[in-house]
Amino acid sequence: MNPLIFTTILMTVLLGTMIVMMSSHWLMIWIGFEMNLLAIIPILMKKYNPRTMEASTKYFLTQATASMLLMMAIIINLMHSGQWTITKVFNPTASIIMTSALAMKLGLTPFHFWVPEVTQGISLTSGLILLTWQKLAPMSILYQISPSINLNILLTMAVLSILVGGWGGLNQTQLRKIMAYSSIAHMGWMTAVLVYSPTLTMLNMLIYIMMTLTMFMLFIQSSSTTTLSLSHTWNKTPLTTTLILITLLSMGGLPPLSGFMPKWMIIQELTKNSSIILPTLMAIMALLNLYFYMRLTYSTSLTMFPSTNNMKMKWQFETKQITLLPPLIVMSSLLLPLTPMLSILD
Amino acid sequence: MLKIIIPTIMLMPLTWLSKKNMIWINTTTYSLLISLISLSLLNQPSNNSLNFSLMFFSDPLSAPLLVLTTWLLPLMLMASQHHLSKEPLIRKKLYITMLTMLQTFLIMTFTATELISFYILFEATLVPTLIIITRWGNQTERLNAGLYFLFYTLMGSLPLLVALISIQNLTGSLNFLLIQYWNQALPDSWSNIFLWLACMMAFMVKMPLYGLHLWLPKAHVEAPIAGSMVLAAILLKLGGYGMLRITTMLNPQTSFMAYPFLMLSLWGMIMTSSICLRQTDLKSLIAYSSVSHMALVIVAVLIQTPWSYMGATALMIAHGLTSSMLFCLANSNYERTHSRTMILARGLQTLLPLMAAWWLLASLTNLALPPSINLIGELFVVMSSFSWSNITIILMGANITITALYSLYMLITTQRGKYTHHVNSIKPSFTRENALMALHMTPLLLLSLNPKIILGFTY
Repeated sequence: MNPLIFTTILMTVLLGTMIVMMSSHWLMIWIGFEMNLLAIIPILMKKYNPRTMEASTKYFLTQATASMLLMMAIIINLMHSGQWTITKVFNPTASIIMTSALAMKLGLTPFHFWVPEVTQGISLTSGLILLTWQKLAPMSILYQISPSINLNILLTMAVLSILVGGWGGLNQTQLRKIMAYSSIAHMGWMTAVLVYSPTLTMLNMLIYIMMTLTMFMLFIQSSSTTTLSLSHTWNKTPLTTTLILITLLSMGGLPPLSGFMPKWMIIQELTKNSSIILPTLMAIMALLNLYFYMRLTYSTSLTMFPSTNNMKMKWQFETKQITLLPPLIVMSSLLLPLTPMLSILD
Repeated sequence: MLKIIIPTIMLMPLTWLSKKNMIWINTTTYSLLISLISLSLLNQPSNNSLNFSLMFFSDPLSAPLLVLTTWLLPLMLMASQHHLSKEPLIRKKLYITMLTMLQTFLIMTFTATELISFYILFEATLVPTLIIITRWGNQTERLNAGLYFLFYTLMGSLPLLVALISIQNLTGSLNFLLIQYWNQALPDSWSNIFLWLACMMAFMVKMPLYGLHLWLPKAHVEAPIAGSMVLAAILLKLGGYGMLRITTMLNPQTSFMAYPFLMLSLWGMIMTSSICLRQTDLKSLIAYSSVSHMALVIVAVLIQTPWSYMGATALMIAHGLTSSMLFCLANSNYERTHSRTMILARGLQTLLPLMAAWWLLASLTNLALPPSINLIGELFVVMSSFSWSNITIILMGANITITALYSLYMLITTQRGKYTHHVNSIKPSFTRENALMALHMTPLLLLSLNPKIILGFTY
């Protein structure tokens, strides 16, 4: 793509999200979402083939539906409160519709069906933008309307997402689908604590974005999209296998890596609010996620996966240089001792 | 306590910066020096703990375990030299780094004051152990073993996290030193029963309790020698240590909640001992014997009398040294014949007489011969369980008999009789191996002269 045009489109995506995050008028927020959606379609379709077209179409249809539902909720809110300012949602119906719309944008169950299919159809870099940047805008709206969200619906969606994210990823070998299901599960964790302490949602979002960014960068560096091709990294860049191991264990939420921090804080917040069975259930279901991360580490770093003989003597002529990878890896694995610094997020 | 932790962390740069012919020498020497530092902690002046800071403390229960942990690192390094000799340098350094990381986490776990910090480090010990088992194990079953190990432990310990946080909400602080003083009885309710279960299950899985022990034979058998040593000697004791710490907070539910676990342990120790009699795999035999000894520790901890606590602590230390030594001996067989089948390498006394002496000593301590500390541990546990309920003496007596039976079975099968014709070309024992066994046995024998340092805080 022409670099100038690509830059313009990318800036539009950024601008759309920024408009969503910084507006106080509901209409501007809707406009921001639409801008974001329209601009990201060409980015999703960077490679022009039927698979990408299908993925982009699915993405467009679901997100447009969600935007329309959001508009309806905004109008109902306008009807009941008479103003467009985003403070709290004045009508329970509007709140439920808005929550569903935002859940559709985020990919929470029962609206999660588009996430694996869209993520699989696009290139790794576009998938990266899809799973990290695109979550910021809906999450910021959820943060702002969090006092008026119906707790039952949100918690149901959150727990179901963790379940679906765990179970759905079990049968996958395609890395992008694995990351999609991991994203569904993490979104579940984030929305579970939204009503109790939105700060922790933001913390989880931050750490999730760091870890997903790291994972995608490691995949991009070895240009691997399946478990099989990832298992050849021991031959190309052996250090990457260790980094993949550490990052995957961090995503699974194993102490002492930084992926444990959001889970711990969320469990603490939920327990302080006297719900004890819920965090136990959520924590145990996160183990399903850990299972397929472990499977990935088994094939990549902890064993020498069976491969044909000419795979063992691969020549690589140009090594991709990924900027920011070392700091990302450090941040996504070693942040746990910095937990007391959470207070800066308030 | 930092005087032990920082040198252990510094062992990692030492490994990476050492020259090729110095890595084993450097790491073994410095880890031996660190273990000398930890010996000073054994001087516990009173029943109260030695508090070094807000975060680390050492008390008559954790000091012997700490000394055992630091003592074991040089032994693990000595034991691993042979099977790593053919690996490239970076992999050797990675292996030593994993061991050192595990050591650091273990030291911090045993000396943690805050229970959540204990939990995080308890879980943190899983990661290096998993990597050691799955990366450096020898058979394809090691993958399954790693998964079983990880998931059994995590399933047990996630409810523990929730329970610890809810106790923190209830009492305000989880600092162990404070809890000893303002401990109140837990009110009687269903949710406190679940709290008791949540707190104890993590340690039950780790010990392991008889019904949840499935991960242990897999993990012990598939791990390389250092992995087996650290698993048997220390990681199981983490469960015992955790139980000893957390039962102080869980009265009075323990009086009735302990029954199912007591039954499982009493029955389980006989079952696992009996299975040992029918094992063909040497490492599997030692693994099941670990389950059986730890079942005794579970019984002791759940009875909660002063003598039983003394027995539990002594048994943990004694079993740590004995089990680790047995694994080293089994490994010396494995390195020569590359098979764990017992009958494949028998009659070794004729070929390796000094090693046979070590086998004899190890088997004798395993069956708790007087005056070894194994006997002190088992005797105290048997006596306190007898006073708790007279009938248990039958089961305990049966267990001691069966333990003697399988220990002698193992000894006689591997050492006595005519040697098989295909082992007459094995290499003689290395000095390193003899040193290893001596370093295991000497503390064991010397402790029988002054067992009060390992008798824990109820002495």
